[in-house]
Amino acid sequence: MPLNVPEQDYMYPGHVACPGCGAAIAMRFFLKAMGEKIIIVLPACCWSIIAGAYPQMSLKVPVIHTAFETGGSVASGVRAALDMKGDTGTTVVTWAGDGGTFDIGFQALSGAVERNENFIYVCYDNEAYMNTGIQRSSSTPYGAWTTTTPGRSWKRMRKKNIVEALVAHRIPYAATASIAFPEDLVRKVEKAKDIKGSRFLHVYATCPTGWRIPSEISIKIARMAVQNNIFPLYEVEDGVKYTINYKPKEFPVREYFKLQGRFKHLTEGDLAEIQEMVNEDWELLLKKAGD
Amino acid sequence: MTEKKVPSKVTPLFFARSYLSTEDNKTGSWRFLRPRYEEKTAPCSVACPAGEDIGRIEALTNQGMFKEAWETILRENPFPGVCGSVCYHPCEAVCNRGEFDEAVAINAMERFLADTARKNEFKPFLTNLSAKKEKIAVVGGGPSGLSAAYFLTLLGYNCDVFEAETEPGGVLRWGIPQYRLPLPVLERDISLIKDQGVQIKTGIHISKEFLKEAGESYNAVFIGCGYSRSRELEIPGEDLKGIKDGLAFLNRIRHGEKPRLDGLSVIIGGGNTAIDVARSVVRLGGTPLIAYRRRKQDMPAFSEEIELALDEGVVLKELVIPVSVVPDKGDYIVTLHYMRIMGEDDRGRALVEPDGNKTEEMRVKNVFKAIGEETAESWCVPPHKGEGVVTLNNSTLDCRTGSAVLVFGGDLTNEIKSVVHAVASGKEAAIALDILFREGLDTVESKIRDCLVGNGSFCSMEIYMKGPRFDRSSHVVSYSEINADYFYLSQRITQPRLLREERLATFDEVNLKVSASMAIKETERCFNCGLCNQCDNCYLFCPDLSIVRDKTPQGRHINYDYCKGCGICVVECPRNAMILEEETNEESAGRESCGS
Repeated sequence: MPLNVPEQDYMYPGHVACPGCGAAIAMRFFLKAMGEKIIIVLPACCWSIIAGAYPQMSLKVPVIHTAFETGGSVASGVRAALDMKGDTGTTVVTWAGDGGTFDIGFQALSGAVERNENFIYVCYDNEAYMNTGIQRSSSTPYGAWTTTTPGRSWKRMRKKNIVEALVAHRIPYAATASIAFPEDLVRKVEKAKDIKGSRFLHVYATCPTGWRIPSEISIKIARMAVQNNIFPLYEVEDGVKYTINYKPKEFPVREYFKLQGRFKHLTEGDLAEIQEMVNEDWELLLKKAGD
Repeated sequence: MTEKKVPSKVTPLFFARSYLSTEDNKTGSWRFLRPRYEEKTAPCSVACPAGEDIGRIEALTNQGMFKEAWETILRENPFPGVCGSVCYHPCEAVCNRGEFDEAVAINAMERFLADTARKNEFKPFLTNLSAKKEKIAVVGGGPSGLSAAYFLTLLGYNCDVFEAETEPGGVLRWGIPQYRLPLPVLERDISLIKDQGVQIKTGIHISKEFLKEAGESYNAVFIGCGYSRSRELEIPGEDLKGIKDGLAFLNRIRHGEKPRLDGLSVIIGGGNTAIDVARSVVRLGGTPLIAYRRRKQDMPAFSEEIELALDEGVVLKELVIPVSVVPDKGDYIVTLHYMRIMGEDDRGRALVEPDGNKTEEMRVKNVFKAIGEETAESWCVPPHKGEGVVTLNNSTLDCRTGSAVLVFGGDLTNEIKSVVHAVASGKEAAIALDILFREGLDTVESKIRDCLVGNGSFCSMEIYMKGPRFDRSSHVVSYSEINADYFYLSQRITQPRLLREERLATFDEVNLKVSASMAIKETERCFNCGLCNQCDNCYLFCPDLSIVRDKTPQGRHINYDYCKGCGICVVECPRNAMILEEETNEESAGRESCGS
């Protein structure tokens, strides 16, 4: 049975994403679900390149390139301008990477969500500043190698839980989604589209270049992250109502780490520690969801 | 409308607006690996002696295209009804799904398709090739002879089948009990063979002399006489009147006799005939006991049949051989000698020897012998390899006589004596003859090799005729090559059967019909190993929008102008119908430097 995903594409081929780019797949699914009546606000991130260098364009929808830290504020402004024009049918979408969301753009995002600006904020998360050369971000997971956490100085801080940070704002809708689960992703986008106020989607997007994996297993890795509880699929409504969308069979995380070059220095002891962290996070989520 | 004049001191806000698409960037030039659609071979189709395209049949069934699925069977096997009922389904033993949860119920699906075709009176759309001048006689109207005639007819030859009995079918009609193979199912398969253009002449006993004369009117004679005479036990008392021959007993039942068989009946043997006799004895009111010289796991009978027999109350006595039969007041005293296991042979069967003088006497009402069959006539035996003799996997060609070519097939040349092996033999013989007539004897062996399914030993007619299957890779898909993440655990259908109590009283078919909804559900379980079922994952997950839909049978193609060769499509293909290779073709991609 073919997966149930809308047919229409709003992207051109010939974009310059790396082979196997998860962020390109994430955009493809997002636009399929979202349709063309949108304006994308695009702070600096991989997608600033993928969308095309002037005068080229890889998207069939309007995009405003903007500065790294302004995803939330520019979207607020565009929304206000559209409202002044009486255009309520166009959705404003900020499409930002993890650096522009977790770190540099966080205050603008937090401010916009606190004001409950009427827009959708999508963070496609490839767990480091990939575009500029694989520097660690606060989204980089515990244990990962990056060019700024090289050799034995691999990252020993845990990944920031961005959804929880947004939930603390009592955001009307926050959800995680994965490129390996397109039906779930499409459903969440369609759901977000119909909600008023701030909406946040955290989309897991593999980066073969930065994660040191063969490009062909890009989707497989994304799927494993969900199957191993590393990246659970869930949604939170109004900051309180949790729904877990996929309850995995709790496979050990080991296999996921073993496949990726960025984790190749980890010992069995480190992996056991990571397993503990993943279990702890999952238990916490289950408690919140009341399961 | 007049435009508002911008005050000269304010610089207008300048937004650089892109006006070209990225389509000018031929990102295909980045590629050093090249994905490609390549259908492969499913293990089931290799194990199937008829070489049926099982993965495709299940996919079509799942889409509700029952007629097309049934025709796909008919391309390789003229007996979907018969095989759907009595085939021992070696396909299911190698099904990759078996490693995931349980094998797909392929055999039940075949029978479902045959039943559906019969109910809806489907007519197959199979056209014979243009007529050839050669004429071929087929001796024996059993499964191998009818298969040979069917495939020869498809290839355009004129075929006459000569059958000694009053009706065609051979062992299918006279040897297999109705509770396994009901007559209407057999008749339907045979009528389709006739509709294809096969001439069947019944009541004609073939002698050695006929073979000599046949040279004048026929270019080849296929000999598929089967094993019709029971082997001898070679023990004292064997020739007693009243010691019954298993095959003859089954034959009498198929002719309508229903003798009452009270008391204990001992059946000597361990093959399918022994099981059939035992299960028939149950239905005639008797108590059967099978005496076999080795162990249950060594029995040549198909294991499913053995289990059903035991379920119906047949008693199995292992490791015994009869040494004498003595009549006593209307009964018989059978002396059984116990056997001892000495080891195992290279096929894992027990090697046995008499266990000292340990014997047991048994008073029984009836004795049946079913220790295997042999040919009734010596001229039916195929010659050994030599000048002018080509020994193939399932048939033997003898071109020594100078007149008609003799082809031996069926039980005579098959190691496993099953219906589906008979089909394999008839098909191989038909293809071999076509090669012989068209291209000569020297090429037969190599050309036959070219149309084997995968790495197996059975031919496919579709591959021989260079149909779509011809383009498939012969690589046999293993379970590790299936992307199991796209499948969910689901239970195999349970073949509906008559209750045991209902079974024991009649010769009605034991297996009940499978519904269309059950069939669609079951075929959904099939991995369709190596075959594209249009699931669209390749299209969906492509980051470069390089999978383009089209009207070809593949339904899509790869746009190598943009494909960067990431290989996601190949890994996300659930069924291994794609392949990722090193890029060698320099011209294929746009090699001019791209935009970034």
